[in-house]
Amino acid sequence: MLEVTGLKKVYRSGNREVEALRDLTFTVDTGDLVCLVGPSGCGKTTLLRCISGLLEPTGGDVRVDGKAVSGPPPGMAVVFQEYGRSLFPWMSVRDNVELPLKQKKVARPRRAELVAEALDAVGLTGTESAYPWQLSGGMQQRVAIARAVAYEPRTLLMDEPFAAVDAQTRADLEDLVRALWQRLKVTVLFVTHDIDEAVYLGRRVVMLSSSPTVVQDELVIDLPAERDQLHTRADPRFVELRTHVYEQIQLAKKAAA
Amino acid sequence: MIRRIAYALALPLLLFGGWWVLSAGSESFYAPPLSEILTAFGNTWTLSALRSDVLPSLLRLLSGYLLAAVIGIGLGLAIGVNRRLRFTVEPVLELFRAVPPPVLVPVIMLFAGIGDGMKVIVIVFGCVWPVLLNTVEGVRAVDGVVLETARSYGVTGPARITRVILPSAGPQIAAGLRQALSIAIILMVISEMFAASNGLGFTIVQFQRSFAIPEMWSGIILLGLLGFALSLLFRLAERRALRWYEGLRAAQRRAG
Repeated sequence: MLEVTGLKKVYRSGNREVEALRDLTFTVDTGDLVCLVGPSGCGKTTLLRCISGLLEPTGGDVRVDGKAVSGPPPGMAVVFQEYGRSLFPWMSVRDNVELPLKQKKVARPRRAELVAEALDAVGLTGTESAYPWQLSGGMQQRVAIARAVAYEPRTLLMDEPFAAVDAQTRADLEDLVRALWQRLKVTVLFVTHDIDEAVYLGRRVVMLSSSPTVVQDELVIDLPAERDQLHTRADPRFVELRTHVYEQIQLAKKAAA
Repeated sequence: MIRRIAYALALPLLLFGGWWVLSAGSESFYAPPLSEILTAFGNTWTLSALRSDVLPSLLRLLSGYLLAAVIGIGLGLAIGVNRRLRFTVEPVLELFRAVPPPVLVPVIMLFAGIGDGMKVIVIVFGCVWPVLLNTVEGVRAVDGVVLETARSYGVTGPARITRVILPSAGPQIAAGLRQALSIAIILMVISEMFAASNGLGFTIVQFQRSFAIPEMWSGIILLGLLGFALSLLFRLAERRALRWYEGLRAAQRRAG
């Protein structure tokens, strides 16, 4: 369970203040998959950094499983947008996935198991000893997802993870995220600026306004649990939902202008 | 591969050939023919001479260099990680760095005597700056996304230093170590020229003072060869340790 209550973040530089997040309240139930969408520059990344404990909010609070976040909470894994910079180029794929487990003091045999399982789950078996920069962008993001999966998180945060990969790879990775979510039963918060992606992936979609950000609207995605790129995206209900989200985002933009 | 070696060897061979031909008929006492210098080289740098004069020099060089590396990287890490410390000490560091180390030889002699300790201190004092300043820069330049990733996955404490910050700053630290190596050789010779009873610098000055000119030249050639060999070794070690960096850069060039 992830609870965000009255979250506010103001950046100060000198005597200038920029209000990035005004008043955000929403919850993600345990085991749910919620997508956050908003117009570009709406403070999605700021929000995610507050939730992951990397950034101190100015007001309000974030609770993970009932505990207030005041630093990176254990049991939470983050997949960053910039996979190229988030994977350590001086380590092999295996070491990248294994390092957080070492830090968690997982015993060696179990570590090897977790790494193998995670790489298998993202379809990267056989690349263990390669360096991340020897892989394509899509594969690098798979490594980052494997690192998160091997960490055995209860909560998984994803910050526009597919913004920098090509459209076909992106579709594959979207299906991968849905499959992993269903299999691992983790709570997922997925941030994106892509409306189609949000509707396709999420069980709920939270729409954000332009900066200073508040929650514009929330929507339950009542599409069947089994989704696939071809049929789900052609489903009339999908089109309706996507239109609704699109309208809300347009409204949010207009309100800002 | 063979072609590359041939290219690399061509110019040195040409220069030595030129020296050989131009100096062949030399009557000058101070610039004897190269043939004479090479003969002196063979006679002077016997195994026992290598042991009694080159080995002590090398030991001073290595201990000074390694000590400077440890101090430079250690302090550099501390200063690079800690912003307040950096603002406090950075101006002072720049000042110290601006002092040419040979100037300190007589001063250091006053309290460290004329033994090996003095020479090692001189080498450390000269070598530590490029290592230190490059480490500070390298640590400061560690990517923010890398640090946030480490933090959110619980990579903190010693592992943050050894598994994240040091490797990330590695290329820059290596650049500092490379600069320091050539400084170490210079300071080794200079400190031995001031006051010593053995060592390469001492021997070369002895030859010069006793007008053993071909022997003096042979010492200078040996010094050149030594520096060359050391930088070659350094290159090899660097290439091994930073293989990931070469690969990453090549990958980025292909993509960019």
